[in-house]
Amino acid sequence: MKSPFKYFAVLMLGAAAFAAHADDSSFTSSAGIGSIGGEEIYSRICQGCHMPQGQGAVGAGHYPKLAGDPRLASWQYMALTVLDGRNGMPPFGLPADQVRETRTVHLSDAQVADVVNYVRGHFGNAYKDKVTANQVTALPHPGTPAAP
Amino acid sequence: MSGAGSGSMSRRELFRMIGATAGGAAMFQAMSSLGFNAESPYKGPIELQGTPKGASVLILGAGIAGMTAAYELRNAGYKVQVLEYNNRAGGRNWSLRGGDSYTELGGLTQKCEFDKDLYINPGPWRIPYHHRGLLSYCKRLGVPLEAFVQVNYNAYLHSSQAFGGKPQRYREIKADYQGHVAELLAKATRQNALDDSVSKEDREKLLESLRGWGALDGNFSYGPSEASSDRRGYEKEPGGGLSARPIPSKPIGLSDVLDSGLWQGIPNGDTFDMQTALFQPVGGMGRIGEAFGRELGPLIRYNAKVIDIHQDQHGVTATYEDRLVPGTTLKASADWCLCTIPLPVLAQIPMNVGPALSAAISSVPYASAIKVGLQFKRRFWEEDEHIYGGISYTDLPITNIGYPNTGYHSSGKGVLLGAYIWGLNAMEFTAMTPQQRVQKVLEYGSQIHPQYPKEFDNGVAVAWHRSPFTMGCYGMWSADARAKHYDDLCRIDGRIGLAGEHASFLGGWQEGAVTSSLDAIGRLHQLALAQGGKA
Repeated sequence: MKSPFKYFAVLMLGAAAFAAHADDSSFTSSAGIGSIGGEEIYSRICQGCHMPQGQGAVGAGHYPKLAGDPRLASWQYMALTVLDGRNGMPPFGLPADQVRETRTVHLSDAQVADVVNYVRGHFGNAYKDKVTANQVTALPHPGTPAAP
Repeated sequence: MSGAGSGSMSRRELFRMIGATAGGAAMFQAMSSLGFNAESPYKGPIELQGTPKGASVLILGAGIAGMTAAYELRNAGYKVQVLEYNNRAGGRNWSLRGGDSYTELGGLTQKCEFDKDLYINPGPWRIPYHHRGLLSYCKRLGVPLEAFVQVNYNAYLHSSQAFGGKPQRYREIKADYQGHVAELLAKATRQNALDDSVSKEDREKLLESLRGWGALDGNFSYGPSEASSDRRGYEKEPGGGLSARPIPSKPIGLSDVLDSGLWQGIPNGDTFDMQTALFQPVGGMGRIGEAFGRELGPLIRYNAKVIDIHQDQHGVTATYEDRLVPGTTLKASADWCLCTIPLPVLAQIPMNVGPALSAAISSVPYASAIKVGLQFKRRFWEEDEHIYGGISYTDLPITNIGYPNTGYHSSGKGVLLGAYIWGLNAMEFTAMTPQQRVQKVLEYGSQIHPQYPKEFDNGVAVAWHRSPFTMGCYGMWSADARAKHYDDLCRIDGRIGLAGEHASFLGGWQEGAVTSSLDAIGRLHQLALAQGGKA
């Protein structure tokens, strides 16, 4: 069983680890990641695969290009992809205490909304409708609720 | 990779993800359910007998899983063909050497400029002694092994937040932590605080064991002494002649040891996957894949990009492009198919299998991981700091510095593993150009080895999510996903079976690839026998 006290300890120590390299903006931590917005989420995380201009890439498989992808017309499609992952893409909607298991990263609903809006408004995309944190919250999320 | 280099990699993140220790029991439970720490089920060479005449197997992927299958099935009398995306055998079993070039997704090409015989293993880099399957193939294929040093008592544990950022030697932290804990426990014992748990006759034995374990003095206290220096090292080491007398060193206080957090690095060699003895192939981990490739020769078709997999009642056909002749479409067919293509790639390839296998293939996110190799003009870690092999651990984003476990005292240049990173920081490193990654690794590593800027020569950086042939490092099963999908992933669907580390409880380890492959071909063989030859 998960102990809430252990979880608390994790967060505290995580915060200390963040301070360790707070002077270098190149890297953040599980504590620091919570404070960044859509553009920075894209440049720190998404662009590793989807590339700096959202152009995607092709190898044995491919990373979809986000520039001009018609599927982005559906903000729900994109938000669910960010929350759940897809075809090996890591999920970013797991609860913060469940990301260790799959070595991924937790983004808040507000951050998911922010990065969805960022991508849908850049790389040649110009969708006018903006998604809100509450709309993301209403979507199904991966993982199970953390123990009380 | 057990590696990826991989393995119970969470342990390796000790400094970066401190929760492992904070929630040790929960973590162990989680890791066990994930399949880490599991022992290899390898029980000796597989025996496949009675192969129907003319039976054939198409194998997709010439990594460890695919080539294990090809080797055994060929020996059992099957007609075997292997399709491989890369122009080399091995997959993630891979060494980057001087003269190699590597183009990552996004199109950036790195030319490795290491000197002759110097290399890094972007993927797996160590083989535990109990990975008997992989070790048996090393033996059968004539791949010589040498020791991999997991724990080097003279390597560093480093926290940017402790001891003014000065790295500490592993032996000092281990001796002092152990000594102080032994002293506390001895004190509690002698004050009768443990009487409820320790019988009177065990009491003296416990005290004596604590004295030995913690290097305590006659009064059960831990301090500057011959005994403690014999663990943590001396202020002045014993020598010969008139200047011979040793001067004991002064242990670090308990509070400083605890505050530093460096105690988290002490058990790095205690986990089942990291216990001595560990091995590495002489010349780089890639020697295993290369040996398999030589053994299988023309059975492997390289530069073959699979774009469709189709089965019917007669057999399986893979459609592929010859990457050297873009636009060409070729087909390969067989009675059966063993598919070892990594799941992020396979999930995008049309394949007519049932919904259960299809869902399983799409349910495993791949870990983000980075390795950076740095060539320096001299082996300063040996010459200046007396570090021969092993690993230093740090709370900086680079996480690890791995020293070469070979070529000690070589004159000339040397190559370090400058960084080995998982999780968030790995994603951030992936988002950079290779040059930026190397630059950042140099900056951080300089905090531990100030010789970096002066001695640096060149470097290469492999980000596994930019790997064209895997699109990630290895399959990260959550307990939830494993419960829902693992059996479906491993079950043969019609004529197609899957294998690879992703189809194992040894995630990221090559042994998972070997054992999943042997398990799958054993089941395929039973099906082939039941069908009595060509369908």
